[in-house]
Amino acid sequence: MKDIISIKNLSVSFKNEKIIQNLSFGIKGGEKIAITGASGKGKTTLLNIMAGFIPEYEGEIFILNKKLNYQNIKYIRQNISWLPQETVIDFEKVNDLLFAPFKFTNNCKQEPNNTIIENIFDKFDLSTDLLQKKTSEISGGQKQRIMLASVLLLKKKILLLDEPTSALDEKLKQKITDYILSQKITILTSTHYKYWMQKSDKILSL
Amino acid sequence: MKEVIDISYLSLFLGYVLLFIPIIILWYYKTGLVKDTLIAVARMTVQLLLVGVYLEYIFEINSYLINLAWVIVMTIIASFTIIKRSGLSYKIFFLPVLLSGVISIAVTDAYFLGFIINLESVFDARYFIPITGMLLGNTIRTVIIALEAYYGKLKKEQNSYRWYLANGASRKEALLPFMQSAMRKAFNPVIATTAIMGLISLPGMMTGQILGGSSPSVAIKYQIMLLITIFSSGILTVFLTINISNFFTFDKFENLKKKV
Repeated sequence: MKDIISIKNLSVSFKNEKIIQNLSFGIKGGEKIAITGASGKGKTTLLNIMAGFIPEYEGEIFILNKKLNYQNIKYIRQNISWLPQETVIDFEKVNDLLFAPFKFTNNCKQEPNNTIIENIFDKFDLSTDLLQKKTSEISGGQKQRIMLASVLLLKKKILLLDEPTSALDEKLKQKITDYILSQKITILTSTHYKYWMQKSDKILSL
Repeated sequence: MKEVIDISYLSLFLGYVLLFIPIIILWYYKTGLVKDTLIAVARMTVQLLLVGVYLEYIFEINSYLINLAWVIVMTIIASFTIIKRSGLSYKIFFLPVLLSGVISIAVTDAYFLGFIINLESVFDARYFIPITGMLLGNTIRTVIIALEAYYGKLKKEQNSYRWYLANGASRKEALLPFMQSAMRKAFNPVIATTAIMGLISLPGMMTGQILGGSSPSVAIKYQIMLLITIFSSGILTVFLTINISNFFTFDKFENLKKKV
């Protein structure tokens, strides 16, 4: 089976300091990769590079058989989904937050119906009543779960997640980890959470 | 109608005494704005006195070429002011800001002076220079607010722009919330001021015209047209400035350049 993501000799520096040095690895379709390492070792940077946000690097990256460059970035971004650890997306209502990515031309066909939403909300221990609330009225953990639900519902081939369980309590973390990692898509996650690492197919230690 | 009462130079000088009030307040609260205020007032005085002398000659000569050159100089100065006050890079923004200003003035002046007032030549100094000056003066403020809001939000909320892009949005879709925010911040105050016009505030041009001997009904018609022109020109300039600058402020990966 051909690699869905292939990274060859990747090196990145910030202010003359090498953050990632000569990194090479391949990921098969459907594999779950946990990226680990101490703070500042480049976990978030690696995800940002793959989403095309840091074009200054050495080496080569192939995603979905396309080289990561400006000619292919549009195609790559249309086929991935990315969730940073901190977002400042200021929608007034929770409903708008959940549906935001489905307003884009590229995603509008994926817009989920009520049954699909009820189903995923159930898995994430969320009530659909939340949708009518203001985003300022919900907790950080609820916001994180809603954004996770939103990117999962996009049904992209590759999901890039940066510390997706950071705002969740212990009881929920395990349930949500199980659900996300049971999806049949490729998922790369920057995480410190041991259970997520154990449940992943591979661990990439930076 | 009575002749307008002239202000003698001595009275004008005494008028400056009023500035003691703002200066004492600014000094008392240690705002650091006293020096800036004094420089701004000095600049305003010298500039207006020079322009007064200059305009007398310009109106007398009324050469279309000189009038046009004068407006171009005003637009260039306005562009520098906008970029400086927005804290942006001259290298990246000079062309977009200047180009937007020129296009917007050409469109609104042509419509207002050429079509509505039906001047024989839109370059007639008596109309072309003061009207364009008022358009530019008002546009500067709205463009500064819009640029600050747009690029400020893009820098501060980089992750949200990235989130849109990396979840399938086109650049235009990803920039929409930033454009909406810039437009709202820049034009909410203009809309609010327009709505109370005449009730609470009497606009400068109208007051000037009435003092200068025009009948209030003529002054009001000019004022209405001018407010509509200022509003349209402001929106057009903001729309053009942001859209043209987008060509220079994003890299090939559609990321906001660090230099912005």
